[in-house]
Amino acid sequence: MVNGALSKFRILDLSDYIGGPFCAKLFGDYGADVIKVEPPGVGDVARTVGPFFKDDPHPEKSLLFFYLNCNKRSVTLNLESSAGRKLLLKLVKGADALIEAFPPGYLDSIGLGYESLEEVNPRLVVTSISPFGQTGPYSRYKGSHLIYEGMGGIMYTSGAYDREPLAHGHPQSYYIGGITAAYATSAALYARNRSGKGQHIDVSLAEVAAAHHTGPTNRFAYTGTIERRAPKHEPGSPKSGPHMEGIVPVKDGYVGATFQRGAATRASLSDYLKLLGADKQADPSFVTPSFQGAIPQHIDDLVLSVLKEWKKLDYFNTVAAGSWVAAMLQTSEDLVNSRQLHHRGFYADVEHPVMGKVRIPGEVYRMPACPYKLRSPAPLLGQHNTEVYCGELGYSSEEIVLLRQQGAI
Amino acid sequence: MDGLLSGIRVIDCTTVNAMPTATYTMADMDAEVIKVETHTRLRTEGLGPFPDSVPGDKFWNRDGGFHRLNRGKLGITLNLKLPQAVQLFKRLAAVSDVVAENNRPGVMDRLGLGYKELRRVNPSLIYLSFSGFGQTGPWRDYQGIGRMFELTSGLSQFTGYPDEGPRRVGGAWFDPPNGWMVVFALLSALHWRDETGEGQWIDYAMYQMAVSTMGDAILDWQTNGGNGRIMGNGHPYMAPHGAYPCQGDDQWIVITVEDDAQWEALCRVMDNPEWTRLPHFSDGLNRWKHQEALNQRMAQWTCLHNPHDLMARLQEAGVPAGAVQNARQVMTDPQMRYRGFFQRVQHSKESGMGTRLYNGQPWKMDKTSTYIRRPSPDLGQDNEHVLGKILGVSEAEIAALYELGALGKEPNPMPKRQAQMTLEETRKRFADEIDRGSMAGYDPDYKKALETE
Repeated sequence: MVNGALSKFRILDLSDYIGGPFCAKLFGDYGADVIKVEPPGVGDVARTVGPFFKDDPHPEKSLLFFYLNCNKRSVTLNLESSAGRKLLLKLVKGADALIEAFPPGYLDSIGLGYESLEEVNPRLVVTSISPFGQTGPYSRYKGSHLIYEGMGGIMYTSGAYDREPLAHGHPQSYYIGGITAAYATSAALYARNRSGKGQHIDVSLAEVAAAHHTGPTNRFAYTGTIERRAPKHEPGSPKSGPHMEGIVPVKDGYVGATFQRGAATRASLSDYLKLLGADKQADPSFVTPSFQGAIPQHIDDLVLSVLKEWKKLDYFNTVAAGSWVAAMLQTSEDLVNSRQLHHRGFYADVEHPVMGKVRIPGEVYRMPACPYKLRSPAPLLGQHNTEVYCGELGYSSEEIVLLRQQGAI
Repeated sequence: MDGLLSGIRVIDCTTVNAMPTATYTMADMDAEVIKVETHTRLRTEGLGPFPDSVPGDKFWNRDGGFHRLNRGKLGITLNLKLPQAVQLFKRLAAVSDVVAENNRPGVMDRLGLGYKELRRVNPSLIYLSFSGFGQTGPWRDYQGIGRMFELTSGLSQFTGYPDEGPRRVGGAWFDPPNGWMVVFALLSALHWRDETGEGQWIDYAMYQMAVSTMGDAILDWQTNGGNGRIMGNGHPYMAPHGAYPCQGDDQWIVITVEDDAQWEALCRVMDNPEWTRLPHFSDGLNRWKHQEALNQRMAQWTCLHNPHDLMARLQEAGVPAGAVQNARQVMTDPQMRYRGFFQRVQHSKESGMGTRLYNGQPWKMDKTSTYIRRPSPDLGQDNEHVLGKILGVSEAEIAALYELGALGKEPNPMPKRQAQMTLEETRKRFADEIDRGSMAGYDPDYKKALETE
């Protein structure tokens, strides 16, 4: 039965933490049957990562894990045991894609490399997510969010001139890696449905960061110039911190101040000041700096002082309604209460046995014919062992007990 | 095997950054992407860079930002203010698989090219409308651009120096990932079409993709009342975790220690200095609590070393570490080179642009190759091919369309010629910028470094 865009696919999610699970979640959100395969006892490492429900670091109370694993089932399986590996191959037979994020070489070393999986199921797409890719001199190097943003060129141009380079304070590099893995996997499935052949995808998270931060490398390839963090005396540069074009304080938080109108044009400075109710301060002799040009200090100071009187939502609505580019810094609380998101039906309400009713980000994009659906909350560790192993692979309950006693599941 | 999307035709009615990223990704996968522009408005994708900072006479065809985002595509110009052009667009939609657009909500409907209209000529068409906040709701008409979503999505709650306040990091952060998510969305619609034969309309909002990376934070507020806090380069429970100074001007290494074993390995690489045995660094919890003191100690050691050498030593010992690389270092990085991440594109002789490097895709497949199949198009470059070969419009009709202004190969009105600097003036400007500190460096031999000469 077809009811979601991706309902015809079964995905095995052997990955952990954020990147792979976010990739598999996107498949689940649009209908795929995602089976999360976790090591017995401990499960996905994200189960140990906060934030936690009521700040209690219990393995079933990680909010990070909860969000990333809704719409999945969980089985436990010990890849280190031969019975566990046999089970995995049985699962592979009925799967369309397998997502994994082990260190490169690990699956080969236990006899589950791509060639072995391909032999069992030539239609299978295997997506391997690793720090630097499966090949090359750094392929065995370890990675982390800072390493991707550092090696990929993002940090060098971010932060203050006279301080250390800065990364995002929330591990974005894994999320964008997950999205990358998701579209690549979906494209390989699309090609597979024509050729009949699956394949092995090798995603490098360092390359994802570099594929993201293409402005500076593009400029180097065209002009030989090397960008860096802007010095303090460059007001109005997006890189120079709390200034216009950076993030500036208002009465109750922060806004993104710019007199940009459209994708690449700056509108008149005096119009912007009028919009902010600062007609008197708008000196007709002010020249509007070009889009590439820095904003002079006195203009920067003026705009900043005018903005101090504004509240962020008022600023956002006023400026955006006047068709200027607008932004306000929203807190998690603001996001939960966002009128736009509620109007769009973005959030999904989940009933959780411990947490009660909570909202999670749901529909990323709206496709009315086969929409996003929340079908199940994140699974408990091994919650679907019986359902999958007995109900779908045909093991008897005695065998399941035995497998459990042998540490295979 | 052919490309992943061989045989799929995409009409790309998009500008700026996120959507052109989606469509160039599909072009790299061998979809036939037809970029529809108009010669009556200047291209907006990039504001340079230009080859060796020289815009040249036809600067609109020499913009590196445009070439980066539109490689692999065919390019046509259609002045959609004219009914003849609108008709051509419809005829093209009738023989295409995907139409992707990022005009303001309502614009395509006003042109008579909304989904409802195009569905009539092609029921299996997949039509994606992309905007900042979606096609409905109180914020529908608000403009959304990538760098602003760093704030509006809640990401800026976490990002900045803890003693200063929030800051932006990276370029237009939510542009590329939105482009990538669009590829996923379009593929999900293609899978659905395989099952049902039906096309559909996708209403895509940048805001929603951006907030979808904030699930843990949104749950934290609901269950603990916690909003995000500014983390610097720190980690909620790991230490040492940060960027540390190295030998030389503005050289840095990031080191991120996950557990005791990695800490001990780090200590061995440091030759086990006495301070590492101080009681307040004795275990993970203590190191995290005293991270400020720990970071100071670490910096005193890292500043004696070259970041790349130190990275190699630490990684060999099993400690996660990486050099903070500038654009030149990223482009000459041995790993990126080994994997051929940056790809060479030979531009046409008449463009005078030579060979340039562009980022490839951050993944490889064992049976299908994904690569830049052609340079990005000059304005209106493929008018004849697309209208003539794909739609069967006769040469005489095409000539009449040019006459009418429905097609064009030159901007109309002709923009002002951009200021041209001599190489000497350019170098002086760079030297000034390096002096002021707004630029890290200039490599006059960059083409040698990139092996494009």
